[in-house]
Amino acid sequence: MSNTTTTTNTPARSWTGRGLARERWHGYLFLAPTLLFLAAVIVLPLFHAFWTSFQRIRGLNSTFIGFANYVRVLEDEAFWHSLRVSLAFVSVSVVAHVLLGLLLALALNKITFARTALRVLFLTPWMVAAAVGATIWLWLLEPQFGVLNYILLSVGIISAPVAWLGTPGTAFAAVTTVEIWRGVPFIMLLTLAGLQTIPAEQYEAAEIDGATSWQKFRHITLPNLKYLLVVASTLDIINVVRHYDIIGIMTGGGPAGATEVLPALLYNTAFRANRFGEAAAIGVLLLSMVLIFAAMYLRITRVGQEDDRR
Amino acid sequence: MSRNALLAAVAVIALAGPAAAQNRVTIQWQTPNLTEAQYEPIWKQTIAEFEAANPDVKVEPILVARRDHWTKFVASAQARQAPCIVAVDLTTAAAEGYLRPMDDLWAKEPASFRDAWAPEMLSAAKWEGKLYGLPNWGGTYAEVYNRELVEKAGLDPKNPPKTWDEYLRWSKALTGPDRWATSILGGKTDTTTRVLLTWIWGNGGEAFNADMTEATFAKNPKSLEAIKFYLGLFTKEGVASPAPTTTNYLEQTVLFAQGKIATMRNAYWSIAKVIGDNPAIEGKMFVAPMPSNIPNAPTLASVSAHSISQSCRYPEQAWRFIKFDMDKKWAIERAVKANWMPLRRDLVNEPELKADPMLAEFVRIGANARSYPLPHPAWADIAVNDIVDAVQKALLEPARTDEIFRDLDARVTRKLRQ
Amino acid sequence: MNRTSPLTQAGLWIAILIAALVTIFPFYWMLNTALKPQSEVFLSPPAFYSANWSFDAFRTLLVERPFARYFMNSLIVSLGSTLLSVALATFAAYGFTRFHIKGAGALIVFLLFTKMLPETLLIIPYFRLMSELGLINSHLSLILAYSSFALPFSVWMLIGFFRSIPLEIDEAAIVDGASRITTLWRVILPLARPGLVAVALFTFLISWNAYVWALVLTTDPSMFVLSVGIANMVGEYRVQWNELMAAAMIAAVPVMVMFAFLERHLVNALTAGAVKG
Repeated sequence: MSNTTTTTNTPARSWTGRGLARERWHGYLFLAPTLLFLAAVIVLPLFHAFWTSFQRIRGLNSTFIGFANYVRVLEDEAFWHSLRVSLAFVSVSVVAHVLLGLLLALALNKITFARTALRVLFLTPWMVAAAVGATIWLWLLEPQFGVLNYILLSVGIISAPVAWLGTPGTAFAAVTTVEIWRGVPFIMLLTLAGLQTIPAEQYEAAEIDGATSWQKFRHITLPNLKYLLVVASTLDIINVVRHYDIIGIMTGGGPAGATEVLPALLYNTAFRANRFGEAAAIGVLLLSMVLIFAAMYLRITRVGQEDDRR
Repeated sequence: MSRNALLAAVAVIALAGPAAAQNRVTIQWQTPNLTEAQYEPIWKQTIAEFEAANPDVKVEPILVARRDHWTKFVASAQARQAPCIVAVDLTTAAAEGYLRPMDDLWAKEPASFRDAWAPEMLSAAKWEGKLYGLPNWGGTYAEVYNRELVEKAGLDPKNPPKTWDEYLRWSKALTGPDRWATSILGGKTDTTTRVLLTWIWGNGGEAFNADMTEATFAKNPKSLEAIKFYLGLFTKEGVASPAPTTTNYLEQTVLFAQGKIATMRNAYWSIAKVIGDNPAIEGKMFVAPMPSNIPNAPTLASVSAHSISQSCRYPEQAWRFIKFDMDKKWAIERAVKANWMPLRRDLVNEPELKADPMLAEFVRIGANARSYPLPHPAWADIAVNDIVDAVQKALLEPARTDEIFRDLDARVTRKLRQ
Repeated sequence: MNRTSPLTQAGLWIAILIAALVTIFPFYWMLNTALKPQSEVFLSPPAFYSANWSFDAFRTLLVERPFARYFMNSLIVSLGSTLLSVALATFAAYGFTRFHIKGAGALIVFLLFTKMLPETLLIIPYFRLMSELGLINSHLSLILAYSSFALPFSVWMLIGFFRSIPLEIDEAAIVDGASRITTLWRVILPLARPGLVAVALFTFLISWNAYVWALVLTTDPSMFVLSVGIANMVGEYRVQWNELMAAAMIAAVPVMVMFAFLERHLVNALTAGAVKG
């Protein structure tokens, strides 16, 4: 940020004196297309969702029922069960994304040979559609004809084919693994970018002082990346908590509800049980939870900016 | 209202297009089986011949994967833009107000046409006394065996098991290393529920009371006994393939086609799929009534019906296509090539249908069948979510089976009365 | 860059190769399955390669099934969304960074907010909106949908990027008599190119991979995009794994190629822009 003289929160001070004050409002013209567009395609549907959450919907008819949908959702054990599954799914996935993404970025940053090729290679899981990735894994994990069981059996790690998606524990582990496989590259990419911004002089100075690799990591790399990692993990939480593609394709929420994350419950309530009002209520509750993370994110970024300015 | 002005403008633009010049209307047709490879050549020909005979109507097929069929239908129905002709979960769709009653169109038809449907078949397409669909094709569930595996196990294909005891004896003989007698379905589709119902009925049990206000999976001792026997094939006897909680119709037919299981409870349409997966198996299968503990146990016949959606602007044209598609010619094509059984009672004695011994046997077994889906607006939800969930739980914790199905009774009964 | 001992290098490489294997193996298996004839798909034990590898599955998809058409639709929709989204995001980011905007913080919150909605909630209202506009079965409806999903992130990234371009540059151009638009077009955009490339890549990726929207918004098979074509291949009783995997390859290869060429810009852009917030 060293060469930046303004942020969104501070007006372009140096300009007003030059007779450009008259065009101040032009800024809104630049924003208008984006804001109007998003208002039309997102806000209208959003209001519709809020409105729906207070209605009892029967096909094309609806009646206002106040908070009854919310009451019903919150009284149903299924919601709390899904919330627990979601929390577990999100926390395991995000922690693994950040840890593995960081390690991978550090490793890739150290090597000099085939860097670009390897970076592209590591990005592949994130490039293909989650649905496609999940379908490939479904095929790998197939109990009778899948290659994973074959490999593990021949190496001797397992003694009989495992039904990975068939029992609650392994199914949860499987969908989380696929989510980790898919999400690590994004954190890796961000971290790689972050590593490039760390001034080389800091490392050189440390080397002169005879610092070990671990000390350099601990006292230079990590502090420099701290802000980035917090931002990245917050963005990741927001993404993963809404994510449904992988679970939708691999387990549909089963077995016995072991992978029924909130978006799965939402989808099943809306398009299997046809209870749109309750689904909208679940959606609004999910949204509020995401908003808490978003608020955290905003606080962190603001704090980060203030740090920068000092 | 500005929205109407906008609509009018769009309509004007649309009318200015070339389609209007020919005065042709377009009706859309959405059923989940249009994407099935075995049916594709047939429906394409049906549409081509219909359009040739009816130059004023264009039929637009809507291709959608089965798992997303209902989602796509509901999204369009909610916007009052649903396809004219649909095959959907009839009771649910009718109760939600998405379908148009067909009684007026039906009444105009000559008796010769109407007589082709048995009254009980029509009643499967009714909701609150109104006709919401015309049954088109169906699938009777029966026991399909792999003759080679049966003979290899020293069993007699001429004498398939009739009771559960015999079935268990067969199952034990058919199970070997890396091979099982059958599969228990526990995957998250309603086929899990369909097969479970056949076992319950085969033991003289009932899953619901007569007016469908109460679930009796655990309450009826015969039902609970049947559930325990069926799931016990996996949990107790070890004669069923592994991973039942992820086994759907798809996994089951793959296992059967690859010779990993010797018998499957399935409908006639599975035969086309099995042969598609493994052409070498053709002619090496036979079908028999499912074993049961009571005489004349009914099996299950899933019924697919053509309906007209509430928002359809051209019901007359839609009805014309429905009638066209019901014609004997297409019914036989569907039966012989795509393996969907016709539901018109006047076709039972057609030589083409009798020529195929497996089809003939399926038709014979289907004479004593209950139609599916069950007539309740919440049925789709109960069948795919609640019942499957209970089956999965009981497969994972067999010791708690009683409790799990008691919970299911309570939960489903609540939904039935809502 | 700091030096490392040969031993550390060796350790690094072993770790990287293991990670690479885990990352890439599923794709190898996808290719392997796509190239196998149908009769070998269910071989057990599964074959890691086959003497009978062929492009038959690809041929079936491209010649007998309209996958070339789906591919074109995907391309039109993705490029359209990319253009629209990058254009709007450029203007918005320029507005945010070059002018005093009242409540800019709140507006950015609003942008982020739109990114957080669960998709399922939007399906029905969005379908209704598009059908009232008469846009069902048009590329435009999908372009509008995908742009709206990509836009918040694009604006967010470009704000970071534009901030790193000194205001004095605008100032100099305007003093020379250039209008705002000319300044943006002639001066700022060339400087912001890596950021634009990154934003374009993100938008393209989102549009290329999206499914649910294309599922509900298109009914005419000639309007289907790849993701819908792939989903429709999963029949009730039959999945032809070799064809399904071949279709997945057809969908995956273009983005892989694109990233191979443009990945450099992505890291640079993130370094220069978003990472610094």
